[in-house]
Amino acid sequence: MPDRSFRYPLRWHVMDALERGADILWPATFSRMTGWLLAAPAILLVGLLVLGLIQIGDASMHVLDTSTFRMSEAYTLANYADAFTSAVYFKVAWRSLLAAALTTALTLAFAFPYAYAMVRTRSATVRKALLIALFLPFFIGQVVRAYGWLIILGNNGIVNDMLGVVGVEPIRLLFNFPAVIFGLVQYMLPFGVLMLAPALTAIPEETEIAAGSLGASWPRAIWHVILPMARPGLIGAGIVVFTLSLTDFAMPAILGGGSQDFIANAIYDQFFRTADQGLGSALALMLVALGSLIVGAVFTLFGAGTLALGARK
Amino acid sequence: MSTAEAVRTDTASTATTAVSVDGVDMDFGTGTLAVRDASFTLETGRFLTILGPSGSGKTTLLRLIAGFQTPTRGEIRIHGQRISAKPPHKRSIGMVFQRLALFPHMTAAENVAFPLKMRRHDPATTPDKVDAYLRLVRLDGLGDRRIHELSGGQQQRVAIARALVFEPDLLLLDEPLAALDRKLREEMQLEFRRIQKELGVTTINVTHDQREALVVSDEIIVMDHGEIQQAARPSEMYRNPANAFVANFIGVTSFLDGRFDGGALDVGGVSCAGTPVSKLDPGSPARGAIRAEQVRLGAPGTTLEACDTQLDGVVDDVIFEGERLVYVVTVPALGDAALRIYHHDPAAQDLYGAGAAVRVGWTEADLRIFKKTGEPA
Ligand SMILES: Nc1ncnc2c1ncn2[C@@H]1O[C@H](COP(=O)(O)OP(=O)(O)OP(=O)(O)O)[C@@H](O)[C@H]1O
Ligand SMILES: [Mg+2]
Repeated sequence: MPDRSFRYPLRWHVMDALERGADILWPATFSRMTGWLLAAPAILLVGLLVLGLIQIGDASMHVLDTSTFRMSEAYTLANYADAFTSAVYFKVAWRSLLAAALTTALTLAFAFPYAYAMVRTRSATVRKALLIALFLPFFIGQVVRAYGWLIILGNNGIVNDMLGVVGVEPIRLLFNFPAVIFGLVQYMLPFGVLMLAPALTAIPEETEIAAGSLGASWPRAIWHVILPMARPGLIGAGIVVFTLSLTDFAMPAILGGGSQDFIANAIYDQFFRTADQGLGSALALMLVALGSLIVGAVFTLFGAGTLALGARK
Repeated sequence: MSTAEAVRTDTASTATTAVSVDGVDMDFGTGTLAVRDASFTLETGRFLTILGPSGSGKTTLLRLIAGFQTPTRGEIRIHGQRISAKPPHKRSIGMVFQRLALFPHMTAAENVAFPLKMRRHDPATTPDKVDAYLRLVRLDGLGDRRIHELSGGQQQRVAIARALVFEPDLLLLDEPLAALDRKLREEMQLEFRRIQKELGVTTINVTHDQREALVVSDEIIVMDHGEIQQAARPSEMYRNPANAFVANFIGVTSFLDGRFDGGALDVGGVSCAGTPVSKLDPGSPARGAIRAEQVRLGAPGTTLEACDTQLDGVVDDVIFEGERLVYVVTVPALGDAALRIYHHDPAAQDLYGAGAAVRVGWTEADLRIFKKTGEPA
């Protein structure tokens, strides 16, 4: 008997069985419909979302009658007028936008070197360590993490304790704007790194070596070659981080302590505190519009093909 | 020799020696050395080709010369200076990579201008230089195209212009033509030669294409299993291969296995006239090699002119290659050894078909007898 070195992998056996099963459930004659089948979950999800949005849109056009605590029957744009003219909401919206922009800039600035190190390191151990350090906070969850920061940064927290040792009076590190930004950046970092890493992996190391052999020192190679080539990844990561920050709820609620409300907090208040569904819905739709507008602007500015490398004109 | 003398000869030799590789080993920790004890020197302005089969260590040797990797043992000097003395971006080496490594976010012209900018050449002269080098590689007018708007051969030429524009001391090419179709590849080979002669830049080219090596180079190094098998000029390499491996790798060669009988090659009792190339002990296993254009072919029963050995054979196969035919003839007297024989006039009348009886022969000078080493080549 010939000495065979190739063995049919177990995984292939499993695949074969799955394929036979799939053949029974979805015979080959249906293959013209396969595309629709694959898209079905997405269509279902988007459909539900659209239904929800229509409902919210409807709700946003009824005002709350404060005497009966019922929604009015008549359709009106009064909620939108309220939201637009209110100085409080303007301030909240402005704060959310500023925080999202700051968070995006800071997160990308930190995520880029992290992703670069993770992709380029020669040591598998270092890569694993970086990955684990990235994912651990993921498992902890946003609220627990924010609470953790309360303990660490609080008046009696570790940081102030240590400052006390060197004779510095306790500083109020919490419940202000920087604290929220700090929490958001820390929360967004893994998203940023995970979106940048594939973009950096797609840049061949040879291209970087080529830049070096052509006379570019390492920082200049990064600036002139790696950053521009990673642009689709940077824009993708930027959009994700920006929209997630803009619509964030937990960080401003916990680390801002009620003094640093974002739009989502204002919406929450309308729905669950004041029970003004109308105003809450109007605010929610305005947030959707704001986010879509900004993402749309980015796409028009950098081209819709931004996320697909090389399709750029 | 005194130390002073040694220093003097050293500096004297560096005046013309562009690259010197001395006893270089490269160990990736895989159990075998990717490069073993490589030594050679290359004079300024010469075109060297490193030739060898896949996995023979060509790229590794080139990357060592470029300084992207550090050899486990030995020393590499460029114009007398150790390669590791400077960081990569301060070295004067232009490299064309196997996968080109062009910058997709720049135009062709920007790619070519990049090294000038990085090396802080005078910005005033940059446009002229970029134009001149685009013209040199025959890409004038295409400078504004983005990389993905160029054909494979055009991208190739951008990579060459980019590697040449800053006038490096040394140009390294890593199989840049491998992906091109044959026609374009042969055009580019001549182009390489033209550009290299025009600029006089010392060049090291890596390829597994023997034709390319013969066409473009001043010198060839043949590698196998990480070891340099032979270093010689193309014509010398073709005429006098140092061993059976080189004989097989360059040109179309047939082999006869037997024993060296002190003067000729003994194949199963039949004495084949030949010339020993390496030192051979009488009675030791030996391998005869003969080129397809050196075997004579004639009608059965005829006497072939000036042939020292003549034998009867049977045509086994006839391969049409366009400008020539290749006969595969088996010789029963030599244990059915197969000889490949060129026939350069496919339109001629005296063609033999498969199964035809023929007579084959050769002169003593044309059959080279090598020491038999290892597995068949
Ligand atoms: N980074 C590496 N790590 C481990 N082994 C390597 C590495 N690079 C090359 N090798 C091994 O060294 C040997 C020579 O490789 P090299 O790339 O130099 O071959 P080559 O002659 O350029 O082949 P090809 O014509 O296929 O490009 C091969 O056996 C290869 O597997
Ligand atoms: Mg190679």
